[in-house]
Amino acid sequence: MKTPLVGAIEIALALVLSIPAAAQAGPDPRALEEKVRALEARQAESEEALAKLRAALAAPSSAASPEELQRRLEALEKEQAAARAALEALRAATSRREPGPVEPTGLVPKSLPLFGSSSEVSSGTSFNPSISVIPDIVWSRDDVKGEAGEILEEADGFHGAHAEEGHDHGHGGLDQGFNLRETEVAFTAAVDAYFDVQALFAVSEEGIEAEEVFFQTRRLPWGLQLKGGKFLSGIGYANAHHPHQWDFVDQNLAYELLLGGHGLNEKGLQLTWVPRLPFYMKVGAELLQGENEKLASDVGPEVLPGLGEEGAPRVLTAKSGPRLFTGFVKVGPDLGYSNALQVGFSLASSRRHQEVHDHDADGIPEGVLDGTATLWGVDAVYKYDSPRPWGAGDLVLQAEYLARKRDLDVLGTTDTAVFRQDGAYLQAVYGLLPRLQLGARWDVAGLTNERVRGGAKTEYDSSSRFTAALTFNPTEFSRVRAQYQRAEIRVDGEKESWGRFLLQLQLSLGAHGAHSF
Amino acid sequence: MKKTILASALLAASAPALATMNVVASTSSMGVLATAVGGDAVRVTVLAPPDRDVHVLQARPSMMLALRKADLLVAIGAELEIGWLPAALKGAGNAKILPGSAGYFEAAAQVPLLETGEAADRSQGDVHPMGNPHLYLDPVRMARVAEALAERLASLDRPNAARYRGGAASFRAAVEARVPAWKAKATGAKGVLLFHKDVNYLAALLGVPILGYVEPLPGIPPTASHLRELTGRFRGQKGVILFTDFQPGQGPEFLARNLGWPKVRLPLEPAVGASAEEYLAHVDRWVEGVASGK
Repeated sequence: MKTPLVGAIEIALALVLSIPAAAQAGPDPRALEEKVRALEARQAESEEALAKLRAALAAPSSAASPEELQRRLEALEKEQAAARAALEALRAATSRREPGPVEPTGLVPKSLPLFGSSSEVSSGTSFNPSISVIPDIVWSRDDVKGEAGEILEEADGFHGAHAEEGHDHGHGGLDQGFNLRETEVAFTAAVDAYFDVQALFAVSEEGIEAEEVFFQTRRLPWGLQLKGGKFLSGIGYANAHHPHQWDFVDQNLAYELLLGGHGLNEKGLQLTWVPRLPFYMKVGAELLQGENEKLASDVGPEVLPGLGEEGAPRVLTAKSGPRLFTGFVKVGPDLGYSNALQVGFSLASSRRHQEVHDHDADGIPEGVLDGTATLWGVDAVYKYDSPRPWGAGDLVLQAEYLARKRDLDVLGTTDTAVFRQDGAYLQAVYGLLPRLQLGARWDVAGLTNERVRGGAKTEYDSSSRFTAALTFNPTEFSRVRAQYQRAEIRVDGEKESWGRFLLQLQLSLGAHGAHSF
Repeated sequence: MKKTILASALLAASAPALATMNVVASTSSMGVLATAVGGDAVRVTVLAPPDRDVHVLQARPSMMLALRKADLLVAIGAELEIGWLPAALKGAGNAKILPGSAGYFEAAAQVPLLETGEAADRSQGDVHPMGNPHLYLDPVRMARVAEALAERLASLDRPNAARYRGGAASFRAAVEARVPAWKAKATGAKGVLLFHKDVNYLAALLGVPILGYVEPLPGIPPTASHLRELTGRFRGQKGVILFTDFQPGQGPEFLARNLGWPKVRLPLEPAVGASAEEYLAHVDRWVEGVASGK
């Protein structure tokens, strides 16, 4: 019984004696770190000895008297407490070490955690932004000689809004064979205590486009957040999603035809508020410049060549921004760990929308329209999270309805024209097997599809599409998708059908931020 | 009757005000710490249930709801929750609990981590270059985290400081009382074959070697060639295969059959709302699992 006791006391004494030397050690952090580790190991040993001593005290057959043992135990405990305090001090000393003159502070990994720290352990070098690059490679084959995208843009009731000169129609159109779609290059970081910034560029073979460059506040009270710059509007559900977050290769028809392939992507300010309620609610309002060619385009000032139907000249004036205002609310009840639901309502109102239609061979536009536009929509998303591995059994159901009304003067005449159009999609994505998802989507545009001009109503038929996609995610950083779709698009009253097969490879390099619901 | 009501009303008024702190724990293990340290002085909400893989979870509106009301967020950290917690935090709009604020507490930032300094190279799987984040199965580190958490809670809620420190101290005492028995139990264990790097801290505490992983790389499902290689490497040796409820069972079963080893499937984290005692019982089961490879 004596040997472990003596051993324990020896270790404890050695520990206590070694502390002053360690505390006065040189400033070399590596040496200090080693000392801390050695001390930790020895402390563990002494703890073990202490435990043995305690056990000996509890055992009635102990050789030494209980008083003697008790005394030794107390002494040992006191010594151990001192050792622990010294270890603590040493740890604090190593954590506080100053970086050397040539060490950039942000690039030095934390050598030891700081007890009580409120920072996060992160592999990002603190002063560099997180950088992610997402290439997107698509192989396409349709049965209309590569015209599938063009036919889509000619859909009755939706075609021909050539608002911006020289606008390229490359978004929906894919060449037969290989395509390199926009590579997303994103930089994100906290600027300081007050702002986060995200700068996301869409890089294509033609050039580079600032897709989203915005700041977002970090410290506003009462659940308020302010965002400013160029960003994807918070309306709807799909609008704020980047192509790499889509469950299918392409944008749904409702967004594609009512807002354009990129959705509502505008410069401006967004204020959101998350009140403290028993359920999740986010309310947002936006002041936007108004440059969306399908909802809020400002072409003027311009005197257009040629005369209107009634022989009057056609002049488009300019209006200063902001010209587009939106509001949205999203509500999500608490449905536990496996189920999640969010429903939303959005509204967008543009006080300026101008369209120049169908230039003839001499460059004279056929129709010039000037007025206002509004859009409203409802969205609902339900997610089931299964405990099965790698997404197997997970289910996401998603549906949206968007309706747009344009109230426009037909320049060169005394007529006004009111266009009412809508679009919707319904989709489901199910985790068939670990890492393998099956998706199905039905999307339609023009359930309501009419033009009322001078009291005369013209109605157009709707266009619809069905899409199925099989997605395999080898890891969360790579994705291979096979997609087949069949569309029935109405062009000049005729039904144009096409089928398209797409293969997609998406890769995510670097540190990409988490995706919101 | 009236008197009793009056008396109880007076009693209620004279009792120290229980200003409950809203603590949001990322997982149920962190919930255990918050409960053990805070007791009645905290109201704990757990974001991720124990039967889900925290690596691949997604942000939900209900997480944002909980974070919106939180006074303190207790996360495991070291980028384990990187796929969803930052998004949920962004959606919550609560400045008090952002990383770097007093309301953000990350267990990985309080204790030294294992396996730090691995290359940040994703060809090696879903690696955590800042160290292995699965520290929640190491009760000794958890006790230390509890002490740091007590200090944090004490600084946020001074009137209850003594209670928090007491809670952490009794958690530490409970852990320390069990460590010798755990070590004794695992003495002579030949080694563990893990599915993922999630039991490493416990194996290190018990001094039991980790023989390998059922996953060929972190985050990659087992392949036939990798399983064959493992069978070849360990044939004739002794050990145990450990995995958890959300990890697929085919790989471990194949290995157990071919190596003649026991396989033990246990939940990785305790039930939501578990007490310190239940957490220690949960560790008991894991220790038993580790020790069964003799």
